[in-house]
Amino acid sequence: MKDFLINLDRRFIFIFVAIGVILPALTTFPLPIKPTANVRAIYNTIEEVAAQNGTVLISFDYGPGSMPEIQPMTLSVLRHCFSKKVKVVGMCLWPQAVGLVQQALDTTSKEFDAQYGTDYVFLGYKTGMHSLVINMGRDFQGTYPQDLQGNNTADLAVTQRIFGLKDFDYVICLAAGNTPDGVWIPYGQERYKFKFGIGCTAVMAPDQFPYLQSGQMNGLMGGLAGAAEYEKLINTPGTATDGMRPQSVVHVIIILFILLGNTIYFLYDRKKGGAK
Amino acid sequence: MLFLRRTLPLLIAFIVGTLGILIYYIPHTAAQDLEQELARWDRIIAAFAMLLGIYSLMSLHLNRVKRQQGGWGYSFLVFLGFGLMILFSLYNDGLGPFKPQVADSGPFVWMFDNVQVPADATMFSILAFFIASAAYRTFRARTPEAAILLVSAIIVMLGRVPIGVLISDWIPWFSQWLMAVPNLAAKRGILLGVSLGAIATSLRIIFGIERSYLGGGE
Repeated sequence: MKDFLINLDRRFIFIFVAIGVILPALTTFPLPIKPTANVRAIYNTIEEVAAQNGTVLISFDYGPGSMPEIQPMTLSVLRHCFSKKVKVVGMCLWPQAVGLVQQALDTTSKEFDAQYGTDYVFLGYKTGMHSLVINMGRDFQGTYPQDLQGNNTADLAVTQRIFGLKDFDYVICLAAGNTPDGVWIPYGQERYKFKFGIGCTAVMAPDQFPYLQSGQMNGLMGGLAGAAEYEKLINTPGTATDGMRPQSVVHVIIILFILLGNTIYFLYDRKKGGAK
Repeated sequence: MLFLRRTLPLLIAFIVGTLGILIYYIPHTAAQDLEQELARWDRIIAAFAMLLGIYSLMSLHLNRVKRQQGGWGYSFLVFLGFGLMILFSLYNDGLGPFKPQVADSGPFVWMFDNVQVPADATMFSILAFFIASAAYRTFRARTPEAAILLVSAIIVMLGRVPIGVLISDWIPWFSQWLMAVPNLAAKRGILLGVSLGAIATSLRIIFGIERSYLGGGE
């Protein structure tokens, strides 16, 4: 038994994790989701933008790998904007995001009868990352003369009065990489001082706290939990809310395994230096 | 030849690097226009760099096939996937390559939705299993520092999911405090160190002290 626990086959752990994901995903039990101040800040800013009949720029910088975490944020933020008649301009710094965002726009625009060109515009992907943001800063329509469908941005109701990044009432970056702190803050927010909020994967969230404290970003949605909090705020439970059940159970399983590993380590394995 | 291989790239790096720094601090319209122009050039170069990346990837896999290295059969899949997606992209759901890309229908979108999305998501989700296994084997309170890290990790793991609220309202609060105070302090310190390092490396490149980007083992 001692040797079995010290050198526990990883497949046993895999089985526990699989059960921890599958069973809670197939069942329903209520869990309390309390929106944090950082998530609420994004929600409140969109409410303010709605009161001004303003425009939001959303940079979608993620791919299929991070889709389970970020796509619920995309859907929730778009639903919030469309329900409050906030105009949306979407763009991508990651090419893989285009297909995912198109799906999200198709779904949410139908739900709220949002019209392309008058309520939202999708610009698609362009290369350049930081250079693209520098160009957008002073010459939005020159950087994006056309949208993804080939319409002139100068003719579209949403973008015809947008000449630079300062003209957006809020910029949101939904990201799975370093675009918020590596591109948008140094080359966009810091120079043009627009309001900036982000949604990112859970693993990225700790890196963003210095920018929150400095005021360079005003809100943060971190991982699936952040997405679930936003779903709670707009009162539309989705995949993130459902995902909280398996995630909660798997977190508990991992904690139990950590505790078990440490118990074995202190009881039997300490002198030998740990399991191999 | 030495001029083209070494002196000219060093000269370009010096001029463009110095200009890039100077125009950031000059609020004059001419400087800002120049910055816009340089950024446009950079975007064009970035687009061509993609072609270079594709060439590099293809030649790597071609060599694997030629030398029949381990797993060389998978390299065929790279060519197959790349070739198919290029063809579907040019086909553009029947509109051809000179019309704006269709993003909601057609074989390109079908391949993306039914191959890339599930494959990529599956790869990423496997992490949950490996994290659990690695945590069991390696996350040990061997030292007081490791014990503090372990306790903090458990609090954050509980605080980030609703089950933490069920246990106690203090867990999410303490988790948030850990992120917003000790984590922030450490991250900011790391960030400052990395930024200073980046500035030093940039200056070394601009002034031609760091030349490894030229290649040739120098």
